[in-house]
Amino acid sequence: MGVADIRSLVLIATAIFLIAPVFLLAYVLFYNSRKKKHIEEKAQMKQAFETELIKAQAEVQEQTLQTIGADLHDNIGQLLSLISLNLNSIELTEDIAKAQKKIEASASLTLESIKELRLLGKLLHGDQLVINGLAASIEQLVLWISKADRFKVEYHVHGEAEEKNTAKDLIIFRIVQETVNNIVKHADASEIVIELTFLTDMVAVKISDNGVGFDVNSITANNKGMGLHNIYKRAMMAGGRAEIRSVPGSGSYVNIFVPYQ
Amino acid sequence: MLRLITLNVFVELVCFVVSVVCLNKDRSWPWHGMSLFLLLTCITEMLGVHFKLLYLADRAHARPNIWLYNGLLIFQALFITYVFERFINRYVRIRPVMIIGLLILATSYGYELYNHGIFIYNEITNTLMLITFVLYSLYYYYLLLKDENYINLNRSPEFWWVAGILFFYFGSTATNVFFDYLYPYHSPDVRYLSKTIFRGLNILLYGCWCYSFICKKWALQISEA
Repeated sequence: MGVADIRSLVLIATAIFLIAPVFLLAYVLFYNSRKKKHIEEKAQMKQAFETELIKAQAEVQEQTLQTIGADLHDNIGQLLSLISLNLNSIELTEDIAKAQKKIEASASLTLESIKELRLLGKLLHGDQLVINGLAASIEQLVLWISKADRFKVEYHVHGEAEEKNTAKDLIIFRIVQETVNNIVKHADASEIVIELTFLTDMVAVKISDNGVGFDVNSITANNKGMGLHNIYKRAMMAGGRAEIRSVPGSGSYVNIFVPYQ
Repeated sequence: MLRLITLNVFVELVCFVVSVVCLNKDRSWPWHGMSLFLLLTCITEMLGVHFKLLYLADRAHARPNIWLYNGLLIFQALFITYVFERFINRYVRIRPVMIIGLLILATSYGYELYNHGIFIYNEITNTLMLITFVLYSLYYYYLLLKDENYINLNRSPEFWWVAGILFFYFGSTATNVFFDYLYPYHSPDVRYLSKTIFRGLNILLYGCWCYSFICKKWALQISEA
């Protein structure tokens, strides 16, 4: 082997042994910059989730206030008017038995008003609704809808949450609230079925009705269904997904799956 | 005095000065010991040049300077292992492995000293040290990749310090292996090439270390602000 060959051999080998660390360092630096990007994306997603959470909280509160407003006007207002009428119609000179009947009726109406006010009081804790857990908050919602006697509402809970996740509970509750609200407003349904299932690491909510249904594709394509868009978006924000199926004339089905740990 | 300042010594002195300027306020280990280690390296190198000149002037009475570098090997093995232990310990407990590594190096060192005395370079120990440090460097980078936290590596003192070690020890593999293998064919040309390669590797090593010390100073300034 000549001197020139040895020189070339040593030179090439050294170059290879130097290029290898260069590539390694370049890879570590490249991977690290991707790690930075990934962390930034995660932070952005977290920020978006938190924004969505605040929005959902505000919407739950707004919905609650609307319900309270309507109830004060339609229910408690009417009850109190009746009590007032009853009490005003009592004449001290009239028959005691008749007056007693009116007083008893007023007392009964007052008790009814107190019951209504208690229910309203519970609803007033709109933003704290989910503190008692998702199952309890949906139950509260079901109770409220059932009260109107307009719908037959079935509510089933399968399993139970091992640990509470208040943030996700709020998002899921808002989706359920929005879906139910849509059914009440647009579906012209007589039956609503809500099924809440706690799986090992997932929560599934199924909401169906026997209403008029709608064409999901045309509503989504025409960008009309802001409510539908919100359901999809919120389920995604919580790391899950939503499925909406409906055929005009045969009700609608909303399935929500959210990872839950 | 000036005749003692070869290119290698000059690069080491520059690195030593940078370490003093950048790390004088840093009381954290292992950074606090960098200047001391570099000072020791500079003194050894300068003494090495001095003894080499004496040997070249009077080969009959003077001894080669190899014993000095054999002595430096001990400090290199101990200090660099210690620095790696500090860096890697943030991710995993590595001390027992490093103690085993040092024991292997000590055994090899003792064996070589027993075999050929202090005036012949401990080549096996040097090669084992080379392999050990390259493995530590690769393991450090592996842990860095696995770490979920983001670190700005462009300004990470640890990253560039290890980069210097990896460049020097991995880059010198070819010269170490081939040079010894091709020893019978040595010519002044090949020896010159080997020296040139080592000069280049030294510049890379101390260049990376200088930048690492500057990064450490920046980090200290940021933490103080």
